[in-house]
Amino acid sequence: EFRFGPCRVEGVALPGLWEAFRTVKDAVQVQDNNTSIRLLRCEVLQNVSDSESCHLVHDLLKFYLNTVFKHYYPKIAESNTQPSFSTLANNFVFIVSKLQSSQAGEMPPDKDRARRRFLLFKRAFKQLEIQAALTKAFGEVDILLTWMGKFYQL
Amino acid sequence: HMAEDSPGLLQHVKFQSSNFENILTWDSKPESIPGTVYSVDYKTYGKPEWLAKAGCQRITRKSCNLTVETGNFTEFYYARVTAISSEGWSATKMTERFHPQQHTTIKPPDVTCVPKVRSIQMIVHPTLTPMYNADGHQLTLEEVFQDLFYHLELHVNHTYQMHLEGKQREYEFSDLTPDTEFLGSIVISVPTRLKESAPYVCRVKTLPDRTWT
Amino acid sequence: DGGEALPAPQNLSVHSANMKHLLMWSPVVLPRETVYYSVEYQGEYESLYTSHIWIPSKWCSPIEDAECDVSDDITATVPYNLRVRAILGSQTSAWSILEQPFNRNSTILTPPGMEVSRNGFHLVIELEDLGPQFEFLVVYWRRELDTKEHAKVLRRGGIPVHLETMEPGAPYCVKAQAQVKAIGRNSAFSQAECVEVQGEALPL
Repeated sequence: EFRFGPCRVEGVALPGLWEAFRTVKDAVQVQDNNTSIRLLRCEVLQNVSDSESCHLVHDLLKFYLNTVFKHYYPKIAESNTQPSFSTLANNFVFIVSKLQSSQAGEMPPDKDRARRRFLLFKRAFKQLEIQAALTKAFGEVDILLTWMGKFYQL
Repeated sequence: HMAEDSPGLLQHVKFQSSNFENILTWDSKPESIPGTVYSVDYKTYGKPEWLAKAGCQRITRKSCNLTVETGNFTEFYYARVTAISSEGWSATKMTERFHPQQHTTIKPPDVTCVPKVRSIQMIVHPTLTPMYNADGHQLTLEEVFQDLFYHLELHVNHTYQMHLEGKQREYEFSDLTPDTEFLGSIVISVPTRLKESAPYVCRVKTLPDRTWT
Repeated sequence: DGGEALPAPQNLSVHSANMKHLLMWSPVVLPRETVYYSVEYQGEYESLYTSHIWIPSKWCSPIEDAECDVSDDITATVPYNLRVRAILGSQTSAWSILEQPFNRNSTILTPPGMEVSRNGFHLVIELEDLGPQFEFLVVYWRRELDTKEHAKVLRRGGIPVHLETMEPGAPYCVKAQAQVKAIGRNSAFSQAECVEVQGEALPL
């Protein structure tokens, strides 16, 4: 299960998400020609406290669902990797739904810090041309899963 | 990618990694094109600069050890090779994004199997990686993968198995029959990464019971 | 072929046990014809964000039977829409959609089948192999006055595994429960099974 500070999410198998992303990874990352820019930089994900982590993962996953996955989908359809994409997207939907229900007792300072980290990511995303940004963000799901893995316990 | 003059000059540029020994390898078609030299660059994903790998400039072999240069297991890297043939043809190819923690394969553990009269002790030795933390401490696999654990099986005359598993290094299968052969199999497992090493296998015989002789 | 529309499959339902999800429907029967079917699915993501998108089922696009194992399609613990249509040559029927979306956390988890035996003084158990998503909690005890339960987690079934070394004089009992982390649920415990070892205690 995931334990993002106070938020616990049972019913997701992280290995399954890795397996799903591995199927699409190479096809996506090879389209990202700009190897000098990284959206999920260290300033976004490093030294995130437990209490911040729930807010940050919620914001990031919502962004991926509402923006990245939604607008990147046509390329997925072309590359015939819909089942793997569907696995990732539906597990993100599940995680977000569980996070929302357990975000009681929010601590403003943590929420603000998490918000600032998320805005760093979003600003970097907005600075790129939209297709390049979508491709880069989708290609960085392994960076996101690596970070989420720190809060995962078997 | 630089303009490609001769596609056969350079192929399959990729990392081969096991226990964080990260070796860049490539091919050419045909197998060898006399006089061709290769130069290697590498970069951290998100950083602007490509860095030349000293020791792998204008080399003729088709591999280059980038273990040190890709030694931060939390980072993501790229490498690229430029090939130049004696007739002036050139080609440059880049690897896929390489993340040591995700891509490295795990070798079998190093284990000592110690037979006794009615038990077999198994001591798993730590697997050192070629990586160091900020204090200069050499990291073990256990320190890199937090959910790493050992899974040990003892096969008893092909009919059943005894299982032990955990994060500790010493295990003992007890209540065994003296003077009997057993097959031990020990793997390193990192479940969240879907990683499992090939098994270390030891065939070992419990000692004869001389208490009543 | 009087140009009549090919009838759509009816009575869709899902039977799910131990994470094996079977979509079933009433077959479309046409004399001297072989009717095929095509199954598609849509998770909560697709229905929320790209509702026009349906994904062909891994094993049933097309299929001849009037049932489809959608276990490999249902890979998240969210509601899934499922639909099926009939195919006859170039003709296809309308889609029939499962009335209630299916969520894998509704799967029926049965106590695992197990075989308890002894090999010399060793208590051995073999559990039913239910696939990679299953682990098992095995509880065992020596049936006497102060019964102390022991527990062990086995990561897979299908192989006989040693639990304990027994001493004569009292039976040893075992029960087991299936655990599915992917949905965070467990089955009930199986009935306890006991075995006893005869004769003298193990020489020290």
